Amino acid sequence: MTRHVCNVAAAAVLSAALVDAQAPAPGAGAQATKAEGTVYKNKAPVNKEILRVSLPKPKEADLSNGVHLIVLEDHRTPQVNFSMIIDGAGGYYDPPAVPGLAGFTASLMREGTATKSSEQISEQLDRLAASVSVGAGISSPSATVNGSGLTNNLDTVLALMADVLMNPSFPQAEIDRYKTRSRAGLMQQRTQPGFLASERLNKAVFGDHPLARVSATPAALDALTRDTLLEFHKTHYVPDRAVLAVTGDITVEQAKAKAEAAFGAWKKSGAALPAQTEAAPLSGPTISLVVRPNSVQTSLRIGTQSIERKNPDFFALTVGNRILGGASGRLFEHLREQKGYTYGANSGFASSRIPGSWTASTDVRSEVTDAALTDLIDEIRQMRETPVTEKELADAKRAIVGSFARLLESPDAILANYIDQHFYQLSADYWDTYPAKIEAVTAADIQRVAKKYWTPERLQIVAVGDLAKVEPALKKLGAVQIFDAEGKPIEK
Amino acid sequence: MFRPIRAAVVTALFAVVSVSAADGPQVKFTDVKLKNGLRVIISEDHTAPTVSVAVNYFVGSADEKARRTGFAHLFEHMMFKGSENVGAGEHPALIFANGGTMNGTTNQDRTLYFETLPANQLELALFLEGDRMKSLDINRANLDNQKGAVQEERRLRVDNQPYGQTFEKTGEQAYDNPAYKHSIIGSMEDLSAASVDDVATFFKTYYAPNNAVLSIVGDVDTKKTMALVEKYFGGILRQPDPKRPDLAEAPHTAERRSTIEDPLARLPRLDIVWIGPPAQTTDSAALDVLSDVLSSGRSARINQVIVREKQLATSAALFASDSKGPGLITAFATVAPGKNPAEVEAAIYDEIEKVKKGPIADWEIEKAHNGARRNQAAQVTSTLSRAIQLGEYAMFFNDPNLINTRTEKILKVTAADVQRVAQKYFTKENRSVILTMPKAAAAKGER
Repeated sequence: MTRHVCNVAAAAVLSAALVDAQAPAPGAGAQATKAEGTVYKNKAPVNKEILRVSLPKPKEADLSNGVHLIVLEDHRTPQVNFSMIIDGAGGYYDPPAVPGLAGFTASLMREGTATKSSEQISEQLDRLAASVSVGAGISSPSATVNGSGLTNNLDTVLALMADVLMNPSFPQAEIDRYKTRSRAGLMQQRTQPGFLASERLNKAVFGDHPLARVSATPAALDALTRDTLLEFHKTHYVPDRAVLAVTGDITVEQAKAKAEAAFGAWKKSGAALPAQTEAAPLSGPTISLVVRPNSVQTSLRIGTQSIERKNPDFFALTVGNRILGGASGRLFEHLREQKGYTYGANSGFASSRIPGSWTASTDVRSEVTDAALTDLIDEIRQMRETPVTEKELADAKRAIVGSFARLLESPDAILANYIDQHFYQLSADYWDTYPAKIEAVTAADIQRVAKKYWTPERLQIVAVGDLAKVEPALKKLGAVQIFDAEGKPIEK
Repeated sequence: MFRPIRAAVVTALFAVVSVSAADGPQVKFTDVKLKNGLRVIISEDHTAPTVSVAVNYFVGSADEKARRTGFAHLFEHMMFKGSENVGAGEHPALIFANGGTMNGTTNQDRTLYFETLPANQLELALFLEGDRMKSLDINRANLDNQKGAVQEERRLRVDNQPYGQTFEKTGEQAYDNPAYKHSIIGSMEDLSAASVDDVATFFKTYYAPNNAVLSIVGDVDTKKTMALVEKYFGGILRQPDPKRPDLAEAPHTAERRSTIEDPLARLPRLDIVWIGPPAQTTDSAALDVLSDVLSSGRSARINQVIVREKQLATSAALFASDSKGPGLITAFATVAPGKNPAEVEAAIYDEIEKVKKGPIADWEIEKAHNGARRNQAAQVTSTLSRAIQLGEYAMFFNDPNLINTRTEKILKVTAADVQRVAQKYFTKENRSVILTMPKAAAAKGER
């Protein structure tokens, strides 16, 4: 049932802004007195023992057409989830002139097959409370066809999933509808400061590389034809490297038999997948301002290239990033708790076969843009220049290792780890040895990776907000490139 | 020591419950009250080594006094600023550092605090929740500090968002009763005016054990857990039961309507709300099915007709809220570029009239029934969602077993029931309409 509970405080935790809320004079925050931040009384009964778990192992098999099957049984509830992950069908492989083609293809596969209209598919699934969906990330190498339903409807769901996967017909009327709807979406996303920030930051970090893409373009949408869709589907939706991930009330034997029956007609192409290439190395720091009229906040981002998933620095960067920008990390503690500039501040990174991005983010009220940006840069500098404290290191490691227990509530989350293991060719004992590798990280390791990846020469700064309030703060740091909310450079 | 208040349910803890594919798994639990009035619900689930703890306090924005809007939510922030044995910010820091997650959230009817942890940290969670229920640290510095935090939250969620002001105006225009009329985040003026005395009084009145439900779900032993609950909560003093707000909304006699200009928006948006019934009533079950017919999945009528066929809106939906009192039934549509908002509005009313007149196809009712069955099955995977639901059902309806029986109510709903509630609630007098226009566009094309 649809629920609408108004949770304005869904992420409400805490803050320490000593701002006089009764007289919020312009710039008041900039003069805010520093508050104490977290106080430890150390009286709570913490169990010193970390509850160690080993993740249940999925069962694996191969289908006759080369699809690799990974199954994690979970018989608590009478439902099953299938995910066919098709390596090579994601936006990473979009032709450079048509950014978004993989996404268009995925969205439109669900809009009709050789034998069924979009309405018929929807009606058949909805009446069973089942679902089939297709998605392709704008810069991801893979696309995914998902199907889920109650156990007793499984055969229907699988048949529809296979039909959508293998026989999409891309009706012209659906393409036209999709174009109209998507054009509005491309316009609407420009109202979101977070979108404008990602668009600019990804360009600064990745240049012309596919990882720079955050969205399709109106031009690509306009140029879209049925033939382009049919061609992309034929070339990229092949079983050669696909993985079928299954969780739920089913055994591996049942899953294999049902998958053979549903997907057996899907034939191998034999074509090799072009390798992914890394983005060109960063040539220096940049500072960008995206002007968003009527903004009352400045969205600040500092980003750079991170590392590939198999890089041995992954563990040190994971722990170091948590100390800097994880839950109750330094950014939260200092920018929110002590200074009161923002409701939230955090950092995170992405790693795949190739290095993804690392980003520190916070949205602050416009008046404190200068002070908040100075502090954000300074927090990153301190990670390079000073070893983290023993308490920070111990807490971060406990947090990461301890959180493994919670994974056991969700078979889908566990399986996601094994899908990573498969796609990134991680060692067979990777998840068994993961906690030990996290626990082996030292303060010196963290400082070493901070110096390696978070050097000033690599850091790209982006601010989205009010021109008059943001530009002076940015200019203090160097030359500023200015863009409008359409992403176009503004000449001054 | 513990007074069982639902003997039948306590017994059920030991009963073997059969599970069929159609019914979904049943949630077993114990339900007792401490002498100080704290209601404690425990549900053992040993499938994963985790535990979720939820504390629901029966106070929300509906309880706020005049000129103190936003107070319940501001107070929620105060709950993380320390107590007798816990430093400011120490609560979240300890939860995170031990592999857990936690948060707090406020709505019109209740304020909820929760954490999920590895099961061996159960005592930590109970200590932290017990200490702040008993001895919250209320002082000027913490209060000023949290007013600042709420200001930033308001900017992030309302003032810097397209349609942010629309969401605030919706309740203001739709309700006469002050309980649900004002926004949960409240006005900055009211927040600024809140005093330390206000906070202390609020804490004493509403954060009393007899005004709360503690629910615990996960890999725990019920008896040992009760001993810990007694240790950390047993000594907290009972207070007089707070007066519940009158949530009743007198019948409306005329449609309400306004237009807002929004400088952050690029497309017009239409929000239509009707005053609906309280949750967990016969009418609310029928309205849940009605909203499935109109809006659940791609096959639903509003999507098929208004978004796909007529292409009047880029997105559109209808949903009923789940409130203790008369919640809102909301229909919204983002108007497609170049389309007339009046035409979108008329199309929504057309679809509603078709439901009133019928027919409603069997498959549409079947869809709603199967959706309820699927939800029932899905709830078993998360200990946190069960803890929250058990607590809310106990607090609002004195019936935590609704977690097992609510699906039955949906399965009983027929097409005739759906038509009856459509006729009852979707009247012109009962509706309130807000049209939000992008500011630049509105200036150019005055209509």
